[in-house]
Amino acid sequence: MHPLKKLLNSSEKYFTGSGKFNRLKPLFDATKTFLFFPSSKTRYTPFVRDSLDLKRFMSFVLISLLPVLIFGIYNTGFQAGIARGESYTFFQAFLLGSSYVLPIIIVSYAVGFFWEVLFAVIRKHKISEGFLVTGLLFPLTLPATIPLWQVAIGISFGVVIGKEVFGGTGRNFLNPALTGRAFLFFSYPVSMSGDVWMAVKNSVDGVSGATALSILAPEGEKITSALSDSGFSLSNLFLGFVPGSIGETSAFCCILGALFLIITKIANFRIIIGGIAGLIVTAIIFYLIPGGSDSWMNAGPLFHLCAGGFLFGISFMATDPVSAPGTNQGRWIFGFLIGFLTVTIRVANPAFVEGTMLAILFMNVFAPMLDHIVMKYTASKRIPNV
Amino acid sequence: MENIKISKGFKVALAGMPDLSVIQIPEPETIAVSALDIPYIRPKLLVKENDPVKTGTPLFCDKRNKCIHYVSPGTGIVKQIIFGQRRRLVEVVIALDKNRDKKDEFIQFETLSPDDIDTVPRSKITKLLQEGGLWQCFREFPSKDTADENHEPPMIIVSLNGNDPFSPHPQVVLENEISFFEFGIKVLKQFSNRIIVTSRQDNLSSLNRLNGLKEHITHIAPDFYPAWDPGVVLYKLKRTREENRSWCISAEHLVLMGKFLLTGRYPVKRVVTVTRSNDKKPHIITRQGAPVKDLVGSLDDNSLITTGRFNGRYVEPKSHMGFFESTLTIISDNQKEELFGFIKPGLTKPTASKTFLSCLTKTPKNLDCNIHGEERACINCGYCVNICPVDLMPNFIIKALLSDDIEDALNYGLLDCCECGLCSYACPSKIELTKLLSHGIDAHYKDKE
Repeated sequence: MHPLKKLLNSSEKYFTGSGKFNRLKPLFDATKTFLFFPSSKTRYTPFVRDSLDLKRFMSFVLISLLPVLIFGIYNTGFQAGIARGESYTFFQAFLLGSSYVLPIIIVSYAVGFFWEVLFAVIRKHKISEGFLVTGLLFPLTLPATIPLWQVAIGISFGVVIGKEVFGGTGRNFLNPALTGRAFLFFSYPVSMSGDVWMAVKNSVDGVSGATALSILAPEGEKITSALSDSGFSLSNLFLGFVPGSIGETSAFCCILGALFLIITKIANFRIIIGGIAGLIVTAIIFYLIPGGSDSWMNAGPLFHLCAGGFLFGISFMATDPVSAPGTNQGRWIFGFLIGFLTVTIRVANPAFVEGTMLAILFMNVFAPMLDHIVMKYTASKRIPNV
Repeated sequence: MENIKISKGFKVALAGMPDLSVIQIPEPETIAVSALDIPYIRPKLLVKENDPVKTGTPLFCDKRNKCIHYVSPGTGIVKQIIFGQRRRLVEVVIALDKNRDKKDEFIQFETLSPDDIDTVPRSKITKLLQEGGLWQCFREFPSKDTADENHEPPMIIVSLNGNDPFSPHPQVVLENEISFFEFGIKVLKQFSNRIIVTSRQDNLSSLNRLNGLKEHITHIAPDFYPAWDPGVVLYKLKRTREENRSWCISAEHLVLMGKFLLTGRYPVKRVVTVTRSNDKKPHIITRQGAPVKDLVGSLDDNSLITTGRFNGRYVEPKSHMGFFESTLTIISDNQKEELFGFIKPGLTKPTASKTFLSCLTKTPKNLDCNIHGEERACINCGYCVNICPVDLMPNFIIKALLSDDIEDALNYGLLDCCECGLCSYACPSKIELTKLLSHGIDAHYKDKE
């Protein structure tokens, strides 16, 4: 027998029945099943079951986030280097980035996990794997300069109000990670917008810490050239060497993750494709409207696609199956409207430079209604059998 | 012949396909009629323990329609009547009489001849089948209950294949029985104008050997479970609401029916398969209701014995085969708890998803009887929707059922469910979807009564 297994077996008595720590049984179970894949026997038909379970399902989302995470850490260091007027090697930049990003991730996981365990202990149910994803998605949507206490508050709000009050993973109607971010965004706007996107206290003159979406072209100039002048050329935006939230900057890494999720069928491609289609169509419509050539209205679909957090949101946030619609037609509409709303908020609403978060949360609320309409329609197409 | 277009189902290649050769096992000491695989039955016993019975003596009838008899498949004495929880009838066990040189004493019923079957009134055939213990072969949709004799079915679906991917091969079942099969088809025409005979795609070539069978086949189903299931076939063929109350019958039972009406004797021969991964066992000829232990031999491990891996029931080695059951699947128990098992690449793990490397290979996989995870709340991932052969959305239906909203569940097509078990199979949250759906169908049935 494996020594770890021996240790678990010998300590099980403390956590079950009338053992000393029986209240911590969910924590013990989670550790045990994390280390050793459980293999109980089936009791009802069918007597055979698929090898895929929720642990693997959620772990695959984590794997898809790896490119985004690694690039995000590197870019944090890289941008700090620019702001300080120094040039770092990849390794130095990665190390510096880690010193900013890792504490945020650790706080997010630790605080969020505390709430998960607390609710599992009180409700006497198992700890769900859904938090593995939330705990990593949430930090990736934050600027690297965010104070750690705000991370703790944000993830607490996301987990408790966004998920646990409704009954835990599977019963939430909003994406918990985005709920947490929205809470921070509206409660502490100073930490979440403006020149906060570069991980450095005092930057050298002439380097702005703003994101591409907050750029406005001077009178008479086109937005695209203004963006290029500020370092937001299309290739930079695509590859991600720009300031922004930790995980959102690289469109390329987001696409890598999205492809992985689509190929393994963990995420539904309808949401991602629908979202991109919605964004492109809406951006083209705004592009064709005369006037506004100095604002994002005239930026065209490619800039809208690569700038900001749209690709990150549509690939990893909108595809959260719990808060997205469960019907295929609903998923197309859901994705398309996220794309539409993202551009509309960016262009038409001067109060918010970024629209992805609000678009996804807004559509999360509408997902049950989309499902309801689609289900009514498909039910009417069936030959009734009553 | 028409092809039935079905795209969803279980497409993983399975190991342990039975061999087409046939062996006959010695006459068992005991046989039994099980009540567990008869749908919705409320049995009323007609015999007592130690009563002598002949082959064809009624053992119990159905309280809902006392004309429907369930008869003894052997000659001997009633050894034991086994009851389960809440005194539910489980089995009537008969000890076969050894002193009669293994010859059965039959109850002789009236016979019909193939030439004038067209002129025999339907009520007469019905009465004969009910007394002879073969009326139960007809099952009526939507709940697959024993057929209602007063109902004229819009179609009767004859399925050449059984409930499991490795049910007996029709070539073995129908060998030398084609005349009975053809007579059976004639009998069916007395009940309905539309007779559908379906076969699996890959069985077609081997069925060429059986003269005259092929011209009866009307529809071909693709070769993955459960495309040939009569419930799936009905879902794909039906055009009107009335067709929901069609009947179905398996080819094996149709042969029994033909044989019974031609000879006047209750047929007792059955073909069964016993399958196990890493094994290639032959088809077995035995008597109806044979003991499970005679068929599987001795098992020393923790394997489960079931009558179909996806939609059978769990059987004990000491119990007996039921009337509707023609396969025993031995599913091994893989007790190994792997370290970090949830993130292994999984080259040999069977899966309907795309998250294991095994989905790239075509080698036959071994299924074990382990759950591979723990139950969680539904996350609406849609794996059940993507595998359901009758286009149901089990995730939405069970939510309707759990909130007692039977109307919504019915509107979403609950009664189209053919209880194939694939939704539970695929669910990554390990929710007992099939159980919840079956309970919903049963609740609706009881409501209707």
